[in-house]
Amino acid sequence: MTEQAELPGDAAQAGGVMPTAEPKSGTAELDGERRRRHASSGTASSVVRLAGISCRRGRRQALHRVSLEVQSARVTGVLGLNGAGKSTLLGVVAGLYRPFEGTVWVLGERLPSRGPELRRRIGVVLQETALYEDLTVTENLRLTAALYSLARPARRITEVLELIDLAERAGDMVASLSGGMRRRVTLARALLHQPELLIIDEPTLGIDAEARHAIWEHIRLLRARGTTVIAASNYLDEVQALCDTAAVLHEGRLVANETPASLVAQAGQCLDLDCAADAAAGITDLVLNLPGVTRAEVSSGGLTVFLREDADTDEIVREVLQRAHITGFRVRAADLAEVFGVLDPVRKETA
Amino acid sequence: MKMTPTLTALGGGFRAEFQQLRRSRLLVVLTIAEAVTFLMLVSIFGLTGSHVPTAVVDRDGGKLARQWAQVMSATYQTYGVRYMDASSAEKALNLGDVAAVLYIPDGFSQHMAHHSMIRIHFRVDNVNADLTNEVELGIPPAARAFAVANHFPGIRVVSAETDLVPHEVGFIPYLVVSALALAAFVVAGTLAASAVAREFETGTLAYLKLSPAHPLIPLAGRLLATGAVSAAAVSVSALLVVVGYGVEPVHPAATAVGLLLCVVIFSCIGAGIGTVVQRALPLSALIFGLALTFYLDSGSLEPARFYGNRLWVIGHTSPAYYAVGILQYGVHGLRVTPETIPVSFAALICWALLAAGAAWLGLRRAVVT
Repeated sequence: MTEQAELPGDAAQAGGVMPTAEPKSGTAELDGERRRRHASSGTASSVVRLAGISCRRGRRQALHRVSLEVQSARVTGVLGLNGAGKSTLLGVVAGLYRPFEGTVWVLGERLPSRGPELRRRIGVVLQETALYEDLTVTENLRLTAALYSLARPARRITEVLELIDLAERAGDMVASLSGGMRRRVTLARALLHQPELLIIDEPTLGIDAEARHAIWEHIRLLRARGTTVIAASNYLDEVQALCDTAAVLHEGRLVANETPASLVAQAGQCLDLDCAADAAAGITDLVLNLPGVTRAEVSSGGLTVFLREDADTDEIVREVLQRAHITGFRVRAADLAEVFGVLDPVRKETA
Repeated sequence: MKMTPTLTALGGGFRAEFQQLRRSRLLVVLTIAEAVTFLMLVSIFGLTGSHVPTAVVDRDGGKLARQWAQVMSATYQTYGVRYMDASSAEKALNLGDVAAVLYIPDGFSQHMAHHSMIRIHFRVDNVNADLTNEVELGIPPAARAFAVANHFPGIRVVSAETDLVPHEVGFIPYLVVSALALAAFVVAGTLAASAVAREFETGTLAYLKLSPAHPLIPLAGRLLATGAVSAAAVSVSALLVVVGYGVEPVHPAATAVGLLLCVVIFSCIGAGIGTVVQRALPLSALIFGLALTFYLDSGSLEPARFYGNRLWVIGHTSPAYYAVGILQYGVHGLRVTPETIPVSFAALICWALLAAGAAWLGLRRAVVT
């Protein structure tokens, strides 16, 4: 008998009931102006409220009655595998896509917004870099400044480029920049008009570790300055490193909305045992009866054992070694797919 | 039978391309239109100078006179003969319904019977030297054929030409002026289409949608820029026509306004094509191919009405028809369309508004969520 993780009740099934996401990690300081703005929006500290939204992308229904609340001056991660509906969710909040069901409130305004004012308060970094490659970094930003009618564009462009450490490459053609730098230019573009809400789809998609950490630093800095950030990601470690809360999407449904630490705790650790398939099958029952083991799955390389955080891995390995021939083992944190194994209600029922 | 890996790969490539083409139906339709364009191209070249609608005023009324006209139309294939009385023929010539009027003189049959010299007088719409020559060159072979058919040992026919337009315009000077309209289409259309298609291709359109400015405003700004570059390019071409070909515009203002309108219209048409195709690479070839349709049926080689009524009516649907009319008037002082110049300007402005509206609607549909 395996132990099963409990779904966070308020987030599991939307059904028109608004979940209240209470982040369990620390909050950043808001500057006075932002506090006043948020207070005047009439939504207290929630910057985004989605109530039972469903949305189609082409023929496919990408979101199924998702309800979510994003708190002010925090980084909210939207976590999910490819095709989970993360980009659609972000697109709905940004105003790119219109849901066919449910309501969306962003910065106190119900979508679809009638005027351009709301767009001035939102910055968006889409998954596609989408820059004008034959323009320089500054020229790209100058166009954005014109679109947002910024009063002192040159000064603001300099500020933003310094913020994201791209001042030295300001005059370079975008075509000559690396993937990581381009990603930072898109971030600069989104920050140019000093948005209250920043929406980032896959902030570190396809870039190296160094650039990844640089972008994380920028996002942390923004959070510290009081900007609310919603970031979609494929990576559990990214969400752990950046986010105060994580909304987990699976096949268009919200399956969890809690702190990243809580998610990881639910998934626990994994113990990979390298052995032959028949040996793995032979020890599965034994392993499942050991204390601290929640699940076990036979894989091509042996057996993956899911453990609670307090499980004694040494003891488990000792027990297994007495009964079967294993060629190796390793203990690691659960990855995103394994977290879904815990969160997905259908799998939980059949586990 | 077992397929070789080469054949499997070949089949795979074929299937994939076919599937992609099936999903780009508009591109395929436009490509077919381009192919049809080339059919029109060769057809219209074939029509140049042949079957010129020609009024025959038979002042003789005899059997030989009628036979002469029949032989004339059958031998050289230059004349599309229409029998008319003198006043109707003159009216038709002035309206542009016929390109020339041939007068068979009184006593023609008698002169023929006595083998004395006959003067065939014709009046021609000498919009360009090529057409005038075609009409004149048709008379001697017709006379020879007529003599052979009637077993006349020798007849002497002399043609006497009277021009409708006071000054002669060479064929090349006529063509280069028409070519300015084609230049405007190709340059303005390609630049505008590329500017719009690039936004789709690079994904930057999504960012325009997200900005507080209406996404069509920055796009309109881009089109203004491409329009300015196109206007500069067409101005350089026009300058070459003046300096290189020694053609001085008779009405410079009408010429300039006509060219400017061409740039506006073709920029809007280009924007529409860019919205539909959404890919920059095939645009240049596509626009060049489509431009030929507009161009060839617009009276660019000679007045479109001389190609016959069907093509002439089709020509009215093309902005290039009115543009060529205005440019030939502006540069050479010619009237190559039955429509007056103000009517041509009005038609061109309507086309500009229509094209701008269609481009706006197409972009709005594609851009606004």
